[in-house]
Parts: sequence; C-alpha cells; structure tokens
Amino acid sequence: MNSGPMLFLGLFVAMACSWLSFVLGPQLQLGDMRPTTNMIVGASGQIYPNPQPGDAHQGAEVYRANGCASCHTEQVRPRDLGSDINRGWGLRRSTGYDYLFDQPVLLGSQRVGPDLANVGRRMDAAAVLLRLYEPRALTPGSIMPPHPFLFDKRKIQGAPSADALQLRAPFAPPPGYEILPRPEARALAAYVTSLHQDGYLFEAPPPPQPAGKTNAPAKAVAPTNSPAK
Amino acid sequence: MSETAFPAQTAPCPPPQSAAIEIDASCRLPLLGLFGGGVLWLFLGTLFALIASLKFHDPHFLANEPYWTYGRIHAAHRTALLYGFGVPAALGVGLWLLCRLGRALLAGPGVVLIGVTFWNTAVAIGLIAILCGDSTGFESFQMPGYVTAILFFSYLLIALCGVLTFHRRAEGRLYPSQWFVLGSFFWFPWIFSTASMLLLCMPVRGVMQSSIAWWYAHNFSSIFLGFAGLASIFYFIPKRLGRPLHSHYLAALAFWTLALFGSWGGIPGGAPLPSWIISMGVVGTVLTAVPLLAVAANFYQTARHNLDALDADITLRFTYVALVFWLIAAAQQIVGVLPNVSALTDYTWFPVAHWELFHYGFFALAMFGALYYIVPRFLDGNDPPAWSSGLVNAHFWLTFFGILISYLALLVGGLGQGIMLNEPKYSFAQITRGTLVALRASTLGDLCVVVGMIFFLLNFALLLSRHCCRCWNKKRKEGA
Repeated sequence: MNSGPMLFLGLFVAMACSWLSFVLGPQLQLGDMRPTTNMIVGASGQIYPNPQPGDAHQGAEVYRANGCASCHTEQVRPRDLGSDINRGWGLRRSTGYDYLFDQPVLLGSQRVGPDLANVGRRMDAAAVLLRLYEPRALTPGSIMPPHPFLFDKRKIQGAPSADALQLRAPFAPPPGYEILPRPEARALAAYVTSLHQDGYLFEAPPPPQPAGKTNAPAKAVAPTNSPAK
Repeated sequence: MSETAFPAQTAPCPPPQSAAIEIDASCRLPLLGLFGGGVLWLFLGTLFALIASLKFHDPHFLANEPYWTYGRIHAAHRTALLYGFGVPAALGVGLWLLCRLGRALLAGPGVVLIGVTFWNTAVAIGLIAILCGDSTGFESFQMPGYVTAILFFSYLLIALCGVLTFHRRAEGRLYPSQWFVLGSFFWFPWIFSTASMLLLCMPVRGVMQSSIAWWYAHNFSSIFLGFAGLASIFYFIPKRLGRPLHSHYLAALAFWTLALFGSWGGIPGGAPLPSWIISMGVVGTVLTAVPLLAVAANFYQTARHNLDALDADITLRFTYVALVFWLIAAAQQIVGVLPNVSALTDYTWFPVAHWELFHYGFFALAMFGALYYIVPRFLDGNDPPAWSSGLVNAHFWLTFFGILISYLALLVGGLGQGIMLNEPKYSFAQITRGTLVALRASTLGDLCVVVGMIFFLLNFALLLSRHCCRCWNKKRKEGA
C-alpha cells in the first residue's frame, strides 16, 4: 500500500469491475434491442414499440426541460414489487422495449406525483391541459405546481375560442378573458397522452383474467407458462 | 504480516513546522478559489432547496415564471450542491492532504487556479442553462453537454496537479487518507467521461441510458464524494485527537471493499432492466456492510479513550459527526436495497432522506471540519487568524439540527408513504396529503441549514477581512 502505481492498478481493477458489470455488460445485452413482433396477443406481424408521433416527441422535450421527471416516474414495477399494477398504473410491468424510441429516457426516481407510464390510457388531452394550468381544478388539494407559463390569458374577441380551457370558479379567468394553451403545452399534452405501454411481450404478460366473473377461460390471454400468481 | 512488513504510516505524520507553513502557503490562492466558490454554491444550492421545499406549502409560490418551477429549481439545487460545492470541496481538501501528507509543495498552483476559474464559470453557465430549461433530465447529471466538456477539462487540470504533487512527495510511506484522495481523484474522470459520452455525445438506446445514469449517480456520491469525505475523516480524527489510527489494515480493508462493492448499485428494485443487473447492485450494496463495520471499528478503537476530546475542537466536532452520519447513511442504504424493503421504499421520500443525510450530514460536515482547520493556516501559517467561535457554534448547531430535522422527517414520511402506497385501498391523493406534514417539517430543516450557512459565510468574510487588514497594516509598517 506504499506504492503509487500499485494503488492506481488496484483502483483501475475495482473501477473496471464496476464499469464492465454496469456499463459494458448491460450494453452487450440491451444495446441492439430492436422493436419486436414476438408478442402474446395481437395480430401476427404487429410490431412493438412504434415511434412517437412528432408532436409527442416535441412534448418530451418540454417534459425534460421542466424537470417533470423529478416528481413522476414512467415505470411500472412487477406485480410482486409494490402495488403499481393493483393501483391501475399499468396492466403489466415495464420492460426495456417500452423505451426504445425515447430520447432521453426519463424513468424518474421519485413518485411525488403518480406514475405516468400509462397515463395516456387514463387521461385525454383536455384533462392534461387543465392539470397543467391548475392541478387543483381537477384534484382538490393537489400539490402539483401549476404551470401558467405554458398558457396565455387573452381577451375574448368575437366568439370564445374552441381551444380555451373549460375552467370553473374559482379558477376561471375574469369575464371576457380566456385561457389558451401555448404550443409547448399542446406538445406536452400530446406527449403525456401518448404514454401507454401495451404490447404483451412474453417477459411481461398481461394480467390473468379473473375466471370467476366472466366465463371466458383465463388461459386464452395468459401464457401457459405464467407463474401461479 | 507484522507491522514492520507493512510500514504504512499509522498516524498522519506532521511535517516540520516551517515546512508545513511553506506547504500551506503554496496552496493559498488555488484553495481559496476552490473553497470560496464551493461554499457560495452550497449556499445558493441550499437556497434553491428551500424554494423547492416552500412549494409544498403553497404550490403557487413562484409558479408564474418557468425558471422557478419545481422541476427546474430541484435540478438546480442538486447540481449546485454536487458540482458547485461537492467537486471543488473534494478537490481542495484532497490537494491539501496530498501536499501535507506527502510533504510537497502544491504542483502548478497557477494551473489549478485556471482550472478553478473555468470550473466555477462552467457551473454558473450550467445552472443558468438548467433554469432556462436546458437540462439533460438525468438525475445528478443535469448539466448540458457544452458545459460538461468544460467541466471535464478543468477537472483534469486540477486533478493532474494533485497527481503531480503526489508524485513529488518527500514522504514515501502512504497514509490511508492518501489512498482515499487518489481514489476519488481517479474515479471522477472515469465515470464522468462515461456518462458524458454515452448519455450526451453518442446516446445509447433505451433503458441503457437509465442504467448508466443510475450507475453514474451512485458512483459519484458513494465513491467520489464518499472517498473524499472519508479521506478528511481519516486525517483529522487521529490528528486532532493526538492518537494514532488504530489499524491501517482495517483502513485498507475498508478502502478496497468500498472501492469494489460501493461502486455497484443505485438501481431501483423494480427497474425495467434484466434482473441480473439489479441483483448485482443489491449484492454489492449489501457487501458495503464490510467497509461500514471496518470504519466503525477502526474509529471506535482510535477514539474510545478520548471520547470527551471529540467535542473540544471544532474541526473534530464536525468531523466525527460527519463520520456518524456516514455510518447511518451507509446502514440505511444497505437496509433500503433489501428486496422486501425496497418494494416499499423505492420512489418514496426514503431514498431522498438518505440523499440529504449523505450529502449534507456526511459530506458537507466533513468538508466544513476540514475548512475550519485548513483556511486559517493557508492564509497565514505563522499566526493563523481565528474564527469567531460564536459564529462557529451557531453554524454547527443550526446545520446539525437542520440536517437531523430534514432527515428524520423525510425518513418517517418516506416509510409512511411507502407503506400506504403498497395498499391500493389508499388513494394516491390521500397518500400525498399524508406526506405533507413530513415535507413541511423538512422545510424547517432546510431553513436551519440556510441560516447556518449565512453564519458560516459571515465568519468566512470576517476571517478574510481580518487577515487582509493585518497584511495591509504589516505592509504599511514596512513602508514607514
């Protein structure tokens, strides 16, 4: 432990172990992942995932720029870890395939707000815009910060604009004014509503159908080698 | 192996007084740049944390401008803390330790000074970019690509001077602090260049980005900042207690096991990655129990006859509290990766509590302890100007209680949040309301730390002005 070169050599080996197992190894396994047709359900030849539409891609930039990922995750954990699926945040766990077209990939690490991996299934663009402008308009007591800078307050000229937010008191603008989403807000809403992880892959099967209530056989959807639970 | 066969130093062996003064003087301007910039960024970063925290009292607070929205201010807080304060403080204390322990003058002080200037400029540009919406989105790696390039090269300038200083050392035997300093100096460029290349220059595809971002964040904190803080702890506790370090074998064990296993991990248990990657992270983090126990045993044996003396000296007080917080943070991290626990605590405030304790409780306190010792000595080694002890005490207690309040509030709040999240019968809105008490209590903690920082900055300014007055008077007398 008194020789500088030996110290460096030791540190190099330790660093290399970590780098090989957390950077190179995963890259060798995941680096050339491609969209797949290998799915449990769906028409044969269907491919998953598909590229985001252009406005959603622009919205992802707004999502990144405003640090939305510091409060929202975009990942559904497996059924035996936490209650993500039982909460209705997804029908199956997230897999690497779900993020193939994301740039940057923002999985998030904290759930100050709910998970957004499948928020496109739960919300339409109008609801997203309302929540961006004033979260408490839809969820009383919400702690999400409002984003009024993504909107314009304008004097109504002639007929009210069709795109204006439908706000009720006490959040409505003064009479004669309307709140219109800016292009960034529209793009962000397009991104958020585009978020849904479907495509039932073999490593992430859909939930088994409850056999008791409907008469449909549960095996029709679940793969035959799915675990008992 | 006998002691003689392994003749590493067991105590930080002080250079002769006159040499020490000369060594400290060679560090003066570079360290002033590193520490001065660092503490100002820390103050600003903590202020950002306070603003972010105030948004949990009223989400409409500063909501009208995009610059102060929660996501941006939160990213700016982390960035100012990690890159504004963390890296320069680690480099500054590291350079000084390499000089003192190697009995060598700092190599290339001018080069270090250039590096410091570029580093601080880059941090300023990076923070403005983040507030303007140009962050990368990766946690702990938010600065845009054009800034990371400047950061990387200014880091190299500074760290190379450190390695040169180490190479020129007059003292052949190495003390554990030197291993830790060199480890941290070496670790940062590797992880930083990997992250810059694979996340920003030639982005890898899909979840690989997240894998690398998690690995980077984990290595940055646990190894880079961890090594730098431990280097300071290993130096100052034996030195200020006047007792040799109990065992350098235990120190070597802690160093190598931490380098090997501490660098694995940081990936949440349910991440959409192949399970072997997640499992390796869990195994590595659990094995950091070895360095945890080795460090705890080593310092207990070193200090157990002088436990009263720990409070007598200000450097020692900051340093041993930092050590205790490191042990708690390491233990929390180990418990937090166990699959049964991480199912509850991942994505809650529980890991944030760990983050606060590690970066403020361990790293910042260890650096403050070192600063209280180093700064007066490099200003004037013959007659070090004195800190105002009232301000030092106010800084210590405010910081200590601030960190403790924030930590306990987030820890308890995070556990409660995790347990409720696991029960689908509680709605998400109900759970959020449940965490609000904890979040609002942590604001009080942030406020205490900010006020403590103000006392520290005041003390720093007073020390500098006292020193400058003295220099000026001396010059005037010589002139007369």
